Amino acid sequence: MWSYVLRRILYNVPIYLVIVLVVMAMLRINDPVAAYLSKNPTAAEIHETRARFGLDRPFLAQYLSMLGSIATLDFSARSWYRETETVGQVVGPSILPSVAVTLPALALSTFVSVVVGLVAAVNRGRALDRGLMFLAVIGMSVSYLVFIILGQYFGAFWLRERFGLELFAIRGYEGAGEANWPANWAYYCLLPVVISVVVSIGYDTRFYRSVIVEQTTADYIRTARAKGCGQARVMFRHLLRNALIPIITRVMITLPFLIVGSLLLEVYFSIPGMGNTLLTHMINKDFAVTQTIVALLAAIFILTNILTDVLYALVDPRVRLS
Amino acid sequence: MRAGFLFGVAAVAAMLTGRGAVAGEADRSEGTVVLPLPMNTDGPRSLDPARGSTTYDNMACVQMYEPLLQVAYYDNQRFDPLLLAALPERLEDGKRYRFRLKEGVRFHDDPCFPGGRGREVVTEDVFYSWKRLADPANGMKAWWLLDGAIVGLESPSGGEAFDYDAPVEGLVRLSDREFEVELTRPVYRFLWVLTMFQTSIVAREAVEHYGDEFGAHPVGTGPFVLDEWVPKQRLTLNRNPNYHESYYPGPEKWSEEDRRAGLAAAAGERLPIADRIEFAMIIEEQPRFLEFRQGNLAYIELPFTYFGELFNTRTKTMNREARKAGYGYRAVPLLDMIFRAFNMEDPLVGGYTAEKRALRQAIAYAIDLDEFNETFYEGLCVQYDGPIPPGLDGHPEGHLLPGAPRGPDLQKARKLLAEAGYPGGEGLPPIRYYTNSSSINAQMTDLLRRQLGRIGVRIDTQLVDFSQLIELTNKKQAPMFSFAWITDYPDGENNLAIFYSKNVSPGSNHWNYSRPEFDALYERAIVLEPGPERTALYEQMRDLVLGDTPVVGSLARTRYYVWQPWLTNARPTERFWGWFKYLGVDGSER
Repeated sequence: MWSYVLRRILYNVPIYLVIVLVVMAMLRINDPVAAYLSKNPTAAEIHETRARFGLDRPFLAQYLSMLGSIATLDFSARSWYRETETVGQVVGPSILPSVAVTLPALALSTFVSVVVGLVAAVNRGRALDRGLMFLAVIGMSVSYLVFIILGQYFGAFWLRERFGLELFAIRGYEGAGEANWPANWAYYCLLPVVISVVVSIGYDTRFYRSVIVEQTTADYIRTARAKGCGQARVMFRHLLRNALIPIITRVMITLPFLIVGSLLLEVYFSIPGMGNTLLTHMINKDFAVTQTIVALLAAIFILTNILTDVLYALVDPRVRLS
Repeated sequence: MRAGFLFGVAAVAAMLTGRGAVAGEADRSEGTVVLPLPMNTDGPRSLDPARGSTTYDNMACVQMYEPLLQVAYYDNQRFDPLLLAALPERLEDGKRYRFRLKEGVRFHDDPCFPGGRGREVVTEDVFYSWKRLADPANGMKAWWLLDGAIVGLESPSGGEAFDYDAPVEGLVRLSDREFEVELTRPVYRFLWVLTMFQTSIVAREAVEHYGDEFGAHPVGTGPFVLDEWVPKQRLTLNRNPNYHESYYPGPEKWSEEDRRAGLAAAAGERLPIADRIEFAMIIEEQPRFLEFRQGNLAYIELPFTYFGELFNTRTKTMNREARKAGYGYRAVPLLDMIFRAFNMEDPLVGGYTAEKRALRQAIAYAIDLDEFNETFYEGLCVQYDGPIPPGLDGHPEGHLLPGAPRGPDLQKARKLLAEAGYPGGEGLPPIRYYTNSSSINAQMTDLLRRQLGRIGVRIDTQLVDFSQLIELTNKKQAPMFSFAWITDYPDGENNLAIFYSKNVSPGSNHWNYSRPEFDALYERAIVLEPGPERTALYEQMRDLVLGDTPVVGSLARTRYYVWQPWLTNARPTERFWGWFKYLGVDGSER
């Protein structure tokens, strides 16, 4: 397995080099310095800004410097938008707040969606199945923003105003290093997590149901039932195990985006996550941060793909890594 | 499984109810007066005044740094000495000013000073701080404030480093606390520039000690010192224990209306009144409004979308629920000029002939600004004629002038369009119209298209990024465009400067208006102190602009500031942000 992993990493190195090259070239099609300075820049300002940010060097030198930074995880270049911080100081602290919301949301929504999808699949065609799918479609039809606005209003504001229950914060975030972090996490992050789960549950349930339904007609299910397996054993020991490949695929594809976070949630709940950070810095023409985040996300995507293949082999003995 | 489920429920319940102190609460000991204030953005970009440009840079910096003068809290049309012993003495008809620094003004205690104790501010600090605006290494965002103003103060070209030790002819040291400034010409606005936060006084030791990190280590003379800055989350400040003697304005300063509102009650109190400021960065309107309703913010700049929650939309007074909650409020008129404009050098819509003027005025008569006001601003804007916002010298009495080209008057618009050679819009190609891309601007453009369509004028809309919009106007490639000008200081000169021909694109005269008569009036006006003679000149310039119609407008927004019943001494303004030092908290109301 390790030789497979190593080989896949090596195969992807040229791909990654090309991705970084293309990203850097595309970001330079329009002069980033002119966009950054925007209003009436003088020649002196443009010249000084270019030199300050290292953009007066040849493109190849900039490219090699970028690769060197990524390889050594040295993100000490100054942010263009927040000049007192380095790129590392902008990007680093924003990862945990994003993951603090998206990882529990993914775990919870996957668990609930798989169980609900399983129940719906096993009861295919019956009232229970139809009812669950109806609810799933309703959930999919309502805009994410509506869930956020209503969830924030009723979950945080109304509960306190009406019943005196201050269960959830209207907004804000406390980091992992602070005292009472688990309790603070629940206060600040649980409501956004619940909203995220409610939003994604409709889509996920329908997907997992369709994946599991395919398995319900397989011969081995009929055999298991014929051998006297109870419903629970059929569902969890046989159906679920054989539906794991598409489930893993869906979860793994989502993983790189956990770090980016949920932009709307972060903005509405003032969570200083990566999504909010990336959008803010892109809007403010922060070339250094944008370039770095895109390059990092590409690396994470490649590594996630490799990890997915490894997981397939672990879950399904029929899959061979070669 | 059942036990596991019950355990999970118990754990969640414990988490939900077991929340401990949040950061910041630990610093609030009994009796500490804390002001929880909002910032409608992710926060300042830098706490270095020379690098600041946005409202929020201003809001943050000015609590820790101070310029020589400040806008008067009791009358925002005036300024008072802040770091000066008295207002500057005007010499040679305004070509020179003599300044005397106030005694006892010290920088914050900081490790950059020997022994960590902040020293007194001296003349060299003022010169150094202003020179920083000319240094390309500081980004030169605020250099336009002093560019060409002081004799000998110039920004180096060609990439050379700025020499802070080189003498500047127009900055004359008389003593540690006295100096003179010689201007290139006697412009009155120079004193207003000295109220702006970018000209705040900094210590050279701090800049050199902290280098690139100076923007995160403010060392000023302000009423507050930095406690903690967590970017995108919060900025907390504590009272400066060594703040120079500064007192709440006496009762004689306040108007009768302000005295009745209780604004003179704190007269004579030493500033700052509060012990601590906690800024919370809240970008979205809903969470900001909900936090205010729960009492977690001292005041709110009420978003238009929530106006109806607290006010009667017809009478613009507080509704019963808001009165019952005991909120205070103030309608703050902004020094806005929201306009649609024409490039006067464009072959289709520009020019000074009778036909071209008629075309622009036809468009002006077709546009219904009342409809814009009601649709997008809840009717809260003030519509006015000309470029000078309400409250400033030169603004028309009653906001409107008889005979000004103001819509809607479709009959007149059609007549003028015919005089321009396009009866019913025939023969007039679509006019390319540029504006900033946002959902609200897209809707405004739809309304504009409909209004102009009533007289047969068609527009070809281009929604672009703001930096692109500026670039297009700088290159004179936008025949018609729209954005807003917010006056930098409360003097109509700031709004008239943008019609001065020497400021044509890529300068702030985005419409490339060029009239020798206007220029002559402008050059006479800028050297005068406020008074009837200057106001008369402003009015003449205003009327010239109205007659030529390079812009169609204007609207000035009114922002409603609402505050908690426990917040005292509140008289919100956007003319300056140093008023937080006057705010107090009435513990009995909280």
